[in-house]
Amino acid sequence: MGYVAVKGGTIAIEESIKRLKYERIQQGQAIEVEKIQAGMRGLIDQVMSESSLYNEGLAALAIKQAEGNPEEAVFLLRAFRSTVPRKHYSRVIESGEMHVERRISASFKDIPGGQILGATTDYTHRLLDFSLLKETDKIVQEWLHHYHNEGAGGETGPQVLPKVVDYLRQEGLIPPCENNDSEPDDVTRESLEFPSSRSQRLQILTRGETGAVTSLAYAVIRGYGALHPTVGELRVGTLPVSIDHPAGQGNNDEDAFYIGEVKVTEVEMLMPVTVEKEYGKKELEFEIGYGLCFGQNETKAIAMGILDNCLEHPNNEFPSHNEEFVLFHIDSVESTGFISHLKMPHYVTFQSKLDSVRKTKKEEKQEVTTG
Amino acid sequence: MKRRRRTEILIHGSQKLSSQLAENIRQNYRIEVIQSPENGLVMIKMRETSQKSLFYPGEVFVTECKVQIGETIGIGIVAGDHPELAENLAVIDAAFEAELPETGSWAGLLEQEEQNIRQQRDGARQAILKTKVDFESMDVQ
Repeated sequence: MGYVAVKGGTIAIEESIKRLKYERIQQGQAIEVEKIQAGMRGLIDQVMSESSLYNEGLAALAIKQAEGNPEEAVFLLRAFRSTVPRKHYSRVIESGEMHVERRISASFKDIPGGQILGATTDYTHRLLDFSLLKETDKIVQEWLHHYHNEGAGGETGPQVLPKVVDYLRQEGLIPPCENNDSEPDDVTRESLEFPSSRSQRLQILTRGETGAVTSLAYAVIRGYGALHPTVGELRVGTLPVSIDHPAGQGNNDEDAFYIGEVKVTEVEMLMPVTVEKEYGKKELEFEIGYGLCFGQNETKAIAMGILDNCLEHPNNEFPSHNEEFVLFHIDSVESTGFISHLKMPHYVTFQSKLDSVRKTKKEEKQEVTTG
Repeated sequence: MKRRRRTEILIHGSQKLSSQLAENIRQNYRIEVIQSPENGLVMIKMRETSQKSLFYPGEVFVTECKVQIGETIGIGIVAGDHPELAENLAVIDAAFEAELPETGSWAGLLEQEEQNIRQQRDGARQAILKTKVDFESMDVQ
């Protein structure tokens, strides 16, 4: 059988796209982007983090267009990002500058500045709240008014809090470390090659697909890895972003342009390790696995911290310690894109395989007949 | 007032203030818009705390504008899609850079706005600190 090139499907594709729109709006109601932005914080944070583009409004728009499907929303935002020029690089942000909204440690009860729960689902009962079926704008505005009045006159304190890891370094429980100001690599500009740099690993982990990053880190703790992590500190808060004058007029912080802030989750995971000191003496120390991502994505940031430490210690026994295995498989657009492309027409390649199978079967049949 | 401080006040403060200051300059000087407000990206450079090295966690969507007053160029840049604010920021930046006499009376307005922002943040902080855990040791029997 010969192969014949074919074309067609244009009208079907146009109608399919129309059908997609129909599915989105078939109930005759349009969902406003502002409503998505106001009420879908978790999904917006996930989409911004995985697309590595910080803007709640664009994320809400992508979520609307994608009908709430995060993989499609991330694809849309990544595609949009590639059309917008990168104009500047920020000044180096030190996470100690964070205006903290939530901050906990699973390792130490008494941390300087205290444990601040902020907004969390950790202590909720996870029972469906049917009263939300009748929630209206008026009801939420009244609740907000009451809440703002309640908040006045309480305890005040600094917005910036000391880091737990700095305390541990001062105690000598974590080896001291100097600032490394080497320019980071950028995986959006240069393809990843192995062995990877630390900056490449962190960039890929922070924009990794939440479920993939979490699953691999879970596998590590279940035994497909060699770590026993504890959350040293988890913070959620905003970081100020500023840029130097583009014409290089003054490169100090006071002359910089403040441009706004980004909300992030930052985690330092503590991993106990036995290190050999002088004369073969063994001591227990801690290493830090680092996780940071846009928005409030606590599970992902913790998982990133675990995988960061895994990749710092390559170990062929476990795929979770293999940088090629981890870094090549956690990106949302790459993994969903490849799996999804299997739906696309593979008529020629499949027909080729089919021909081979038919030929083999025919030869087997002839052998049986003649044998 | 240095740029870092004034831009933070103008971005977090009421947009009425940035409109008012920019309008003040527009009424007295010829302003040439050399780059209309347009969108772009700023890549964030961040220091991680494990090995204190740098990495890129992602980009912020911004609006940027450039104006010229006489020989002086002013730049306005702000996170998000805010063309009007970006242009006002550029006008104000050019005014400060050119040391126009109008800017002499702005320090008080900016400091007052900074005070308003601080009060708002203190209020928000107080609400957050209500979630601070007060540990109590249980009695040992």
